[in-house]
Amino acid sequence: MGYVLGLKCRECGREYPKEVLFVCEYCFGSLEVDYDYRAIKKELTKEALAGRPKTMWRYKELLPLDEEPTVGLDSGFTPLIRANNLARALGVEELYIKDDSVNHPTLSFKDRVVSVAISKSKEFGFDTVACASTGNLANSVAAQAASCGLKAYIFIPADLESGKVVSSLIYNPNLIGIEGNYDEVNRLCSEIASRYRWAFVNINIRPYYAEGSKSMGYEIAEQLNWKLPKHIVVPSAGGSLITKIYKSFKELEKLDFIDKVDTKVYCAQGLGCAPIVTAIKEKSDIIRPLKPKTIAKSLAIGNPADGYYALDSVRRSGGWGEEASDEEIIEAIKLLAKTEGIFTETAGGVTLGAAKKLIEQKIIPRDEPIVLCITGNGLKTQEAVVKALPGLIKIKPSLASFEEHIKNNLHQRISEEKVIEYYI
Amino acid sequence: MAKRVVKLTFLKELVKEPLTFQMAKKYNIMPNIRRAKVTETIGELVLELEGKEQDLDNGIEFLKKAGVIVESVVGNVIE
Repeated sequence: MGYVLGLKCRECGREYPKEVLFVCEYCFGSLEVDYDYRAIKKELTKEALAGRPKTMWRYKELLPLDEEPTVGLDSGFTPLIRANNLARALGVEELYIKDDSVNHPTLSFKDRVVSVAISKSKEFGFDTVACASTGNLANSVAAQAASCGLKAYIFIPADLESGKVVSSLIYNPNLIGIEGNYDEVNRLCSEIASRYRWAFVNINIRPYYAEGSKSMGYEIAEQLNWKLPKHIVVPSAGGSLITKIYKSFKELEKLDFIDKVDTKVYCAQGLGCAPIVTAIKEKSDIIRPLKPKTIAKSLAIGNPADGYYALDSVRRSGGWGEEASDEEIIEAIKLLAKTEGIFTETAGGVTLGAAKKLIEQKIIPRDEPIVLCITGNGLKTQEAVVKALPGLIKIKPSLASFEEHIKNNLHQRISEEKVIEYYI
Repeated sequence: MAKRVVKLTFLKELVKEPLTFQMAKKYNIMPNIRRAKVTETIGELVLELEGKEQDLDNGIEFLKKAGVIVESVVGNVIE
């Protein structure tokens, strides 16, 4: 395998060899992987795909490895669920959930990008991988580095909640809490990345890492029998996922897997950290950096690295953007759980909360196919919803006590949100 | 001497102001322009700044106070 020609500057188009590079040395534009699509077209066909394992690696020609992947072998190919109950609740005809809350191994879409980044880091001969993260990225780097025996350095703000620390610490990485504000952590990590010969997955490996997100787009297309939805709602933090999903659709068009791309992409962000959505709504070319203030911590990036490209993808597709407030995020998390049995993290709440508003505003029509990208698992952000749930009903360990409870609730059906605890 | 790569965005009301020159002169910073787009409504500059650490901090603060949007070129790295 290996269909990568090299790297290319997204701004000036200058070409670079496929090495550990991430910015153009002339214009400081970010670099992107450049593929040999003519060769890919000969190899990657619908027939060839039929016999391949159901993981993200079935599209390996369109991912930037020169050798076979070495980690994350079971990542991707998450369910695309026809969400009829949620569709009824939203008053739309055809709705799908792309459910990366069950991605392997760490229950978020980050497993896609980290699988690519660490496999590529091994190709480059690194023995240490690193990242700066407050959540899902840290979990995935820690887990996948552990699975392939690489050393991992993970940098987090020192005041991060203990739950998030545990779900990285369990994999035994070098977890370092930095005592400083968000900007200081950002700056220190950039300095560390330039000084140490480590594979910093979202800095010096970024051009390769980001390509992993495309697999989500390929899967959606294939799971819809090579037909794209008319509308897709994607949560945005750094802006890379939405950019790469749109790119994946364009690549499938180039390879004749699908007809002309006619999908509008919508950017969903949390109110209080919506620099991309603000630029979309203001029809501005400027993405103003801001200090994030949202419960959707996994989307809280005030200065999105790929913000301009996300903006460009939304505009070229004819899409739009919408924010979800903290309350709307929580309501959306509950709605998804109640209707489809899927417990998503706050980012998923942002996607559904924003989609609901876009539908109500008639920006997304009710009679056309819609896909919502759910990118992470609710077990990771339980603190966000715990106060919005009803309390526990307690009874004595006797049938009489249970029946008393039933009787008391005769006129109000037992809520599906309530849990009954038995004392034995 | 230290180096810093920054992206400066000048909104409409600042496009005509020679702020980059003023910063360079006042804080003894050498700006090296790598990418630029200036229209009637917006100015965007990607610069490599070279100078003493403290001067770079002061120079960037000067631009921010003047209303220029100053961003790191690689964006936020905490994801």
